[in-house]
Amino acid sequence: MNISLSAETIFNIGSFGVTNSFLWTVILSIIIMIVSVTITRKAKKVPGKLQNIFEMIIEGAYGFVLSVMEDEKKAKKVFPLIFSMFLLTLMANLSTFIPGQAAITIKSGENMVPLFRSIMADYSLVFVMTLISVVTTQIVALFVHGPFGYIGKFINIGGIKEFFVQAFKGNVKFSILAQGFLDFFLGFMDIIGEIAKVVSLSFRLFGNIFAGEVLLAVLLFLAPFILPIPFKFLSLLTAIVQAFVFSVLTLIFIKMASEIDEDELVEQVTM
Amino acid sequence: MELFNALGLNLKILLAQFVNFTIFLFILWKFAYKPMLKFLDDRKDTIEKGITDAQKAEDRLIELGAEKKKILEETLAQAKKESKEIIEIATKAGEEKRNMIITKAKEEIKDIITNEKEKITLERAQAIKDIKEEVTNLVILSLEKVLKKRIDPKKNEKIIKDIIKK
Repeated sequence: MNISLSAETIFNIGSFGVTNSFLWTVILSIIIMIVSVTITRKAKKVPGKLQNIFEMIIEGAYGFVLSVMEDEKKAKKVFPLIFSMFLLTLMANLSTFIPGQAAITIKSGENMVPLFRSIMADYSLVFVMTLISVVTTQIVALFVHGPFGYIGKFINIGGIKEFFVQAFKGNVKFSILAQGFLDFFLGFMDIIGEIAKVVSLSFRLFGNIFAGEVLLAVLLFLAPFILPIPFKFLSLLTAIVQAFVFSVLTLIFIKMASEIDEDELVEQVTM
Repeated sequence: MELFNALGLNLKILLAQFVNFTIFLFILWKFAYKPMLKFLDDRKDTIEKGITDAQKAEDRLIELGAEKKKILEETLAQAKKESKEIIEIATKAGEEKRNMIITKAKEEIKDIITNEKEKITLERAQAIKDIKEEVTNLVILSLEKVLKKRIDPKKNEKIIKDIIKK
């Protein structure tokens, strides 16, 4: 039994080592693109069966995004990113249930490596998607709060400044100073929180899928018949739920970043 | 860095994945989501328009029905009024004519009666005259016979006339 944390390189193009999961990412992306673009191109006013299913999925997903964002313009902007993430993650996770694929190995150098690897059991795409999610969130926050508001959220010295202003007027109040330090500390925690988001978001998806793969591999090694079936179902559930969780968390991060607190709104108006 | 190596991450693969995902996102955005959402919106609009049009048509139909009914009622009322007028006029005319005819008839009858009366009066007068002459002649004749003697006719006549007058 060979369990590798990293994706295996199948072949090299120049100095670029194509890993098995990357190959499948490309293939799956192309398949999804072709299918969805074809369905969209052939869309008729009175839908057929396939178009009906596609419409139902898109409409349902858009309705969900709209219900979270509560604004049609924002929803239209954020929907492609969220839904692409969901679609790719879901399809990647579901494609691991195509039977027989784990058995195919290919000779690469001296090692025999499996041709197929679950895309989300490789950290690269998960990491890239998480970065896109977090960076998008930060950009949205930057646009919504303005550069000063955005930085002020993390480096919050407003309370301390207030203390010194009051102290200068001969009104020394240490409660304000304490509150100021607390605000500063919370702002600092926000920075850590943003970084932790990257880790928590990516490892939630990667960990679940990778663990499922490993668990199934171990079980197949120990007891190949019947016993893996419940775990297979469990990993099917994980596949769908994790795809949903990843995209919805991204959606919620963006929603939270796009909101302005009421006191901040007052501040902006009075400025 | 060691963690990155253990996870099999290097800049090249990350970049490749990023490019791949970006293309995936872009293609789906431009050629699938956007047209599909627009398509769905359009269809929603079409259905909405259809429903509102149907509603409008129904309303119009009801309106037209009401209008038709109103026109019908108006026409009916007009016709009734006109017929009433015509009947009135006709009745009036008939009555006038009747009166005229009756008056004319009365006049004619009156004329006829007057004529007849005159005729009768004239005839009576004639008859009386004739009778008188006849009586005179008879008296003369009878007197001549009685007297058997011809008196002077002029004197005779005078005597008879006196008698008659008496």
